[in-house]
Amino acid sequence: MSRTDQTPPQAVADGGRAPGSLLSRVQADRSVTRMVVLVVVAFAFFAVLNPRVFLSSINLQNIAISSPEIGVLALAMMLAMLTGGIDLSLVSIANLSAITISTLFTAVGENDPALAQSLAPLFVLAGIGVGLLGGLVNGFLVSRVGITPILATLGTMQAFNGLAVVWTGGTVLYGSPDSLTSLGQTAIAGVPVLFVVLLVTAAVVAVVVNRTPIGRKVQLQGANPVAARYSGIDSRQVLMRTYLISGALGGLAGVLFLSRNPTASADYGASYVLLVIVIAVLGGTNPNGGFATVTGVVLATLTLQIVASGFTAIRLSSYQYAIAQGAILIAVMVIDQVRWRRRPPRRRAGTSQASTPA
Amino acid sequence: MTTPPSPRESVPVLQVRDIVKTYGGVTALNGVSLDLFPGEVLCLAGENGCGKSTLIKIISGVEKPDSGEIIVDGVAHPAMQPADAIKSGIQVIYQDFSLFPNLTVAENIVLTSAVADRRRLYSPAGSRPAAQAIVDELGLDLDLDADVDSLSVADKQLTAICRALVSDARVIVMDEPTTALTHTEVERLFALVQRLRDRGVALVFVSHKLDEVLQVSQRVTVLRSGRHVITADAATLDPRSVARHMTGRDVDDSRSVGLVPVEGPPVLEVVDLSLTGAYEGISFTLRRGEVLGVTGLLGSGRTEIAESLFGVLPAERGTVRVDGQEVRLHTIRDAVRAGIGYVPEDRLSQGLFMDRSIADNMIAGSLDAHRTRWRTVDRAGTRTTIRGLFDRLRIKAPNVAAPVRSLSGGNAQRVVLAKWLATKPKVLMLNGPTVGVDVGSKEEILAILRAEAAAGMGVIVISDDAPELVASCHRVLVIRQGRLAHTLEGEGISVDTIRERVAA
Amino acid sequence: MSGGLARFRGRNNEGVLAVVLLLLVVGMSVANPAFFSLSTGFSILRGSIVPLVFALGVLLVIISGGIDVSFAAIAVFAAYTTVKVAGSTALPLGVLGAFGLALVIGALLGLVNGLVIARFRLPTLIVTLGTQGIFKGVLLTYVGARFIADLPDSMAGLSTTNLLTIGSGQGRAQLHVLVLPAIALAVLLAWMLRRTMFGRSIYAIGGDQEAARRAGIRVMRTQVWVFALVGMMAAAGGMFHMIMGRSANPQDLVGGELDIIAAVVLGGASIFGGRGSVLGTVLGVLLVQVINNSLILVGVPSAWQRTAVGVLLIVGVGVQALAARRSARKVHANVIDQQEVAA
Repeated sequence: MSRTDQTPPQAVADGGRAPGSLLSRVQADRSVTRMVVLVVVAFAFFAVLNPRVFLSSINLQNIAISSPEIGVLALAMMLAMLTGGIDLSLVSIANLSAITISTLFTAVGENDPALAQSLAPLFVLAGIGVGLLGGLVNGFLVSRVGITPILATLGTMQAFNGLAVVWTGGTVLYGSPDSLTSLGQTAIAGVPVLFVVLLVTAAVVAVVVNRTPIGRKVQLQGANPVAARYSGIDSRQVLMRTYLISGALGGLAGVLFLSRNPTASADYGASYVLLVIVIAVLGGTNPNGGFATVTGVVLATLTLQIVASGFTAIRLSSYQYAIAQGAILIAVMVIDQVRWRRRPPRRRAGTSQASTPA
Repeated sequence: MTTPPSPRESVPVLQVRDIVKTYGGVTALNGVSLDLFPGEVLCLAGENGCGKSTLIKIISGVEKPDSGEIIVDGVAHPAMQPADAIKSGIQVIYQDFSLFPNLTVAENIVLTSAVADRRRLYSPAGSRPAAQAIVDELGLDLDLDADVDSLSVADKQLTAICRALVSDARVIVMDEPTTALTHTEVERLFALVQRLRDRGVALVFVSHKLDEVLQVSQRVTVLRSGRHVITADAATLDPRSVARHMTGRDVDDSRSVGLVPVEGPPVLEVVDLSLTGAYEGISFTLRRGEVLGVTGLLGSGRTEIAESLFGVLPAERGTVRVDGQEVRLHTIRDAVRAGIGYVPEDRLSQGLFMDRSIADNMIAGSLDAHRTRWRTVDRAGTRTTIRGLFDRLRIKAPNVAAPVRSLSGGNAQRVVLAKWLATKPKVLMLNGPTVGVDVGSKEEILAILRAEAAAGMGVIVISDDAPELVASCHRVLVIRQGRLAHTLEGEGISVDTIRERVAA
Repeated sequence: MSGGLARFRGRNNEGVLAVVLLLLVVGMSVANPAFFSLSTGFSILRGSIVPLVFALGVLLVIISGGIDVSFAAIAVFAAYTTVKVAGSTALPLGVLGAFGLALVIGALLGLVNGLVIARFRLPTLIVTLGTQGIFKGVLLTYVGARFIADLPDSMAGLSTTNLLTIGSGQGRAQLHVLVLPAIALAVLLAWMLRRTMFGRSIYAIGGDQEAARRAGIRVMRTQVWVFALVGMMAAAGGMFHMIMGRSANPQDLVGGELDIIAAVVLGGASIFGGRGSVLGTVLGVLLVQVINNSLILVGVPSAWQRTAVGVLLIVGVGVQALAARRSARKVHANVIDQQEVAA
């Protein structure tokens, strides 16, 4: 019968008169605390094992420069997961964005190199625009046609990647505006600009998710899509906007690819798809939707980058890093499961079970 | 009624001994015992949340009791698995049917017993005759090769019944088996129950239709709040006394609304609304300040009408006017914009975000109304709305930040109600507003509805709870097979009339 | 729809798929007569062997309501390890011994997936994403990362064995011997899914897990077995791949999982579980292979292959989703909600 009658009234501390959801805050706090601990532990671990290499300023700079592109992609993945979906096409979108910028730059630069340099901001916008377009396709397939996100984005991932292969002929494109490259090398007060970009992006995403009606709707949609519909929330609009935003973030990641490395190809960051899902889940995102924290995701990005560079510092291979990624992912899920004892899946009377796979 | 085969002289086929079951600190069953004898029908009665369903799950091995034991034919099963239960001849017809939507009717009927027999191979051709036999015995018109997915609710229920009967069950538990069935089908089921009794099968019958229960059973066991209240001969009980045992007090089915229909201006006018396969030519008017009851069997179209007015299931023909303005209701957002709110039947999955706070749930429907110039959520505004409704509906919770999952059924229902009141609707429809709600809360919720109506809203209550309709509605519409069969008004509204008109 | 047409269409639209495949073959043959030849046919069959073996494994998981993206890692792990062991140990392993070893490794790795998923009730996608990384990392770190150019003799012998050779010279058409085990596997699996209680249990679990539990089906055990079986099939596929490629590359296969999943979904399997058939999967794999083989023949650069498969997947699934939506609108009651949840 109704489960509510059987669940104990939980002793909830008076967390406030604020309308913000306490449970989500407790969950958020928990995942953020966990991430802070993990970041510190990971950092301390490698700092002790090989302080000379790991604590060198080059290494620290490296962590700060390599994190942003992954962090932005992870934020995009987090948004898709927040609605209970997933976006497998993000890396393909990012590559298309980078390829667009590089191609535009080269094409204009052939005739007028100076003009090409000065048009850099426009090219960047074009890259993000390509991301939006990719998001539009995903959003259309998911919200209008009604394809499951995992399949829709699996298809678009292939399609976008295929387009990139056709476009580049499978080769690596060279050429990117100097201003982008120098942006990638500049630091303000020792903090690389790219890292600032990540922080600003994270702040914007956090405001959208927590402080705007659309963000709240995204959370509700993920928490219970049926109840969201019955509350008059337009799930089509919510899903469309979610995938648009995640597409734009994918485009932004493409810009970050280029600023770090002035080349673009169809196959860059093939391993990021897995990595980004690992980060999102590690950062406290519920893969079934409804819960996520921006801070957690940013900290998770840092943790994994620290582990990656730490592995290099103590001379472990990228293969061992792959093992660590997988092990961390499963360990986090198992620990969550054991600690929370998830409720049994809700049942629907007699009709087809439509649990979201994944 | 045939004479009971004096069960007490024989040996019980099923004994339930001192079952205790707790869920995270809350006791669902507290030392419940009962005996079941071959050839009898035992009715298990109790309000929602009294522990009936938990007891059924324990008897069928789906849940394990904290303590106590299940004894089948004198053999104790401390840790019974579902397969053991089926193996020892216990079959359950679940309220939610528990069928496989992706398999055919025939396969659904035979699969369970094949699993219990530990069979390794499956033969579609070999199992068909068994399924056909039971369908014929019941005189049903079921397409054995159809996917269960494509069946109507009634056919699904019949499939679930066939499944329980196909193996030589010795104990059959029926959890609300007649909710979707017509009079004829119910009669046939009861005739079959009679035949099963003659064969020595013992049945446990769970239903909230008390007169039906008393007609079919020999003994009645009543549970209240996880405890055994009474077991008595059905002959010594009547619906009123059973209800008294269930609730622990006398049920008041007198009317608490005015006998005279309200004279306010019409807020909702429905003209000739039709949807093929669901309902046909529905016309009615709802006045400001009126509480209108809509009733009928499950599958009669009563829910579909509400869902059409809420834009979930757009009607094909007909006009709907709200405050005199014709409105188009193709999506839920159309309905919300027109000022129509809907508290759905399935509160847990359609009404609530269980893991989110009371506050989040309350403003889920009015987020856009609480928006600042900067297109962010107006935090002060939402706080005021939430506080106001929290106090007005007297929701019992430590604070608005508590997750809805921690609330009782009655309080959770108030949260859904609050979500809609926050949108300031002109028309509020409630489907089964007090299902799964304890008695005290039930009356309070009905009182809230009357108060909200009096304050100028039109309220539609869809329910098959006749006393509830009598208590709170000015008028009652009876839907039968998709058509508006009767409109009851004033003195015409009584529990007996409603029941008679619904089932006719 | 009349009964005959409905039957032809099949429970999972196999008929529609067959028609599409047929039209494609006819279209390609008209566009380029060279396409319609025994050698093209045989080479498409040859190219389908490994994807089919993988796809059949994925089909099992998908019917049971999950998804597996670690099978390619399991395949490489099992096959590469086997090749390495067979090549380095003194004791002759023989073909059967080699396959036995690979199957055992595959089953063990699949067991890891199954145990974690069933024991902790975790989402299959996330777990297999994790184990994919672990399996590949362990292989490359602790087993070997070197390309092995020559297989042990016993396996190398199979590489060049053909079942049929028709014609000679340019027009020679060869049918590789490994189509036999692939077909046998398909037949066996179809029988298992349709005629054994284990097979029906997989459908039941994919249809409604809680109902399966109530019906006395041992859900956890079945899930573990499914993943172990998938591990074994992946291992067999990995062995076939290396035998047919006459080399063992530890970097192979991983990354191509999504193509296989796409073929299975195109074949009519529902990503929500409970629906799918061996016949549909076979057709799905063939369709993808025909497209990959024929684009070049009709003058489309091979670079378009990925896009073509992606678009095909979107169209295939999109049509199903739209059809589901339409039929949901017809069947009233709350079916629509289920669709929306699904979407």
